[in-house]
Amino acid sequence: MNRAPVLVVGGGPAGLAAAARLADAGRAVDLVELRPALGGAYHRRPIPGVAPWPIGRAGEARWTRLAAGIERPEIRVRLRTGFLGVDGAGFTLLDDRTTGRVETMRPAAIVIATGAVEMVRPRSGWELPGVTTAGGLQVMMKETGRIPEGRILLAGSGPLLVALAGQMVAAGRPPAAIVETGDPFAHPIAGLGLLAHPGPLLEAAGHMARIFAARVPWRRATTLEAIEPTDAGLAVTLVDRRGARERIVVDRVALHDGIRSNDHGFPEASPTASALPFVAWAGDCREVLGVAAAEIDGARIGEEIAARLAGAPIATTSAIRRLAAARQAQDVLARVFAPARPPTPIERLPRETILCRCEGRTVGDLVDLLEGADAPGGREIKLSGRFSMGACQGRFCAHWVAEAAAGLRPDAPPPTPHDLTGRRWPSRPVSIAALVASNSSPDEPTRPT
Amino acid sequence: MASPSKLRIAIVGAGIVGVSTAFFLARAGVGVRLLEAHAPAAAATGAADGAVSVASKRPGAMMNAALAGIALYRELAAQGVLDGGFVSRSTFLVAVGAAEAAVLDGHAEALASAGVEVVRHPTSALARLAPALSPEAEGAIEVRGEGHAIGYDVVRRLIRAAELTVERGVTVRNLVQSSDGGLVGLDTDRGRIEADAVVIAAGGGSAELLGLDGVLRPRRGQLLVTERAPALNAALPGAIMSARYLLSKASAKGAPVSPRGYGLVIDPLRTGQFLVGGTRENDATRPIADVEAIGHVLADAVAMVPGLAKLRLLRAFAGLRTAVVDGLPLIGRAPGGDGVFVATGFEGDGICLGPVMGRTIADALLGRPATLDLSPFDPGRFLAGRVAA
Repeated sequence: MNRAPVLVVGGGPAGLAAAARLADAGRAVDLVELRPALGGAYHRRPIPGVAPWPIGRAGEARWTRLAAGIERPEIRVRLRTGFLGVDGAGFTLLDDRTTGRVETMRPAAIVIATGAVEMVRPRSGWELPGVTTAGGLQVMMKETGRIPEGRILLAGSGPLLVALAGQMVAAGRPPAAIVETGDPFAHPIAGLGLLAHPGPLLEAAGHMARIFAARVPWRRATTLEAIEPTDAGLAVTLVDRRGARERIVVDRVALHDGIRSNDHGFPEASPTASALPFVAWAGDCREVLGVAAAEIDGARIGEEIAARLAGAPIATTSAIRRLAAARQAQDVLARVFAPARPPTPIERLPRETILCRCEGRTVGDLVDLLEGADAPGGREIKLSGRFSMGACQGRFCAHWVAEAAAGLRPDAPPPTPHDLTGRRWPSRPVSIAALVASNSSPDEPTRPT
Repeated sequence: MASPSKLRIAIVGAGIVGVSTAFFLARAGVGVRLLEAHAPAAAATGAADGAVSVASKRPGAMMNAALAGIALYRELAAQGVLDGGFVSRSTFLVAVGAAEAAVLDGHAEALASAGVEVVRHPTSALARLAPALSPEAEGAIEVRGEGHAIGYDVVRRLIRAAELTVERGVTVRNLVQSSDGGLVGLDTDRGRIEADAVVIAAGGGSAELLGLDGVLRPRRGQLLVTERAPALNAALPGAIMSARYLLSKASAKGAPVSPRGYGLVIDPLRTGQFLVGGTRENDATRPIADVEAIGHVLADAVAMVPGLAKLRLLRAFAGLRTAVVDGLPLIGRAPGGDGVFVATGFEGDGICLGPVMGRTIADALLGRPATLDLSPFDPGRFLAGRVAA
């Protein structure tokens, strides 16, 4: 039996739950987390000296359980360590930012549990300084206990905006307003579906009570169309359900248009156990179902991998049924927060709208690239158009570029985000000094040719 | 054959060679079917270092071809076809240690004898000329009149300029010939394509179509791209090539060559990034980079340009160049197969030679006099009298 450790990538609920189950089965586990603290986006631990952000009783219980589960000798937790991918010689590469070295290993299996990334629809001015993502702002609050100064506008769609606003109110710094593209109160029938999921509903009710008590304006069925820098701050153009425009001025804008799996650049899940290392995906990076489901899915994948590695049959558990329930809850939320007006297709945004922030590529650049007799495919759009070629490696733009390209050339096979991002190592930019340090390692294992 | 404009021509492969051939035919008013199994520049063209250079060459047929290749890049740039896609710059061959310095001296003489403009820079001049270079560097020769072009970028520009249409995802199965040996066309996974002339520019895939066995070999190259660093970029006056690269290419005799074929070229790109390569690995069949090779190349690169250690690696990639066992490409008319042309096996010279060879083959198809002597590259040396049907 292969006694090499299992590598778990990501220190959120899915990764922690998977690590605990693998350890239960007697497996050695290396758990790597890129950030300096465990917890993932939802349970992000604060930096030393800062009190944890209150997250409610169910959340506290979950965190206590997850944290206790990894207090075991089989599990080695490595913070500030990134997973770079698997190289052409079959080595799994880790970027240890504490030692400043890239390390190689041959794990028995890899559990990818990298959670979700936020989606922010491109719009005029979304790349300006002072514009962040709502989730990024929330994680910063959890890590540092601080909320940035000034008037903060939360805009986009989804329950995260409500949660963030509620937390800001609780911290004594209510946002300037919430601008919600959907119209949640217009879907009372769909909303009833949430009654089957009392946990999240109660949490949402608590946030909303705080938001109403603090008289935070909650503009529903309204879209943030554009952001412009002015001397007085960021001038934001809002469009309501009747198409009427309004400008307001704030100091910061936090955008959020939902979340999707953080799956860019990582190796695909293995179809069978014969391929080594065996790669499995767990939690939101596999399917966005939320924090509670991530814990269930992580535990399920941990058990499954332990069984596969031991050659034992894979037990059927209640996890599948509970994941189905979580999927149903996500569907209800999607209906409740459905946009009141269809969003402007990306390819019809003003030409100068930035699509790829890293490389400064615009909607107009994409339109020009896709004009003419010959329709370039996904990889050609990346290489020739320089879309998704920058430091984020397409994590934030590949999705939109692919969508816009499909809209511009309905006659050609639609590109996928993976065509633009690829699945090559390094999945993130990596220090050249760290790679050189790896190369000069005296205890480097012998490599097969 | 019919008059050129009536010819039905099919080109197999939308790498730089196939696309260049289609471009020059289109310019002459001759339309073609451009068939591609994957996508334009999907193989070696898309993973090349982009050198439009003779710096590492010895006098001979390949150098003459490369000089014609560079001249054509200048011409296309002047015509606006490449519109900024060709960057004119020198290559600096840099020696570290007495052995490399000696190799460099001999190489400089050889280049100069072939009419290449070469300037010798003593060690004392390097700090001013190329402040980013390591103080270990012991002299350099500057090869002038060269340039850099990114393969996929050239391909895209040529497709646009000639309004070519690439038929993507078409797998060509075999050539079809009549019983008397006349060309009928090609069988593909989408059916038969009739043609009066066929150009096979399909890299490693050409072997099967031509019935070549043991002639073409994949030679893997691994490369990497850094993040942007404009200040460091500006502190290098051109591409930096380690004199050791000459050893790796075995173009200087008597030197040991590592199985990885490590060489070092550091190219400062217009974006402020650096393109760094690479390897020349025999018979590696998977175009995937590995950390051992990339780490090795980076260690050499940092020794040459210490400032690179402060940057991040953005991308590492590998490509399979198609090499011919005798080191020269296969270019020209296939013997015995009327109307069948071959252009493959360029190994690391495809970007430099692609356009000029495309023009030369287009000229042959159009019945125009040859501007370049293709006899050293005659496919007949491996294909005497036979083409797979």
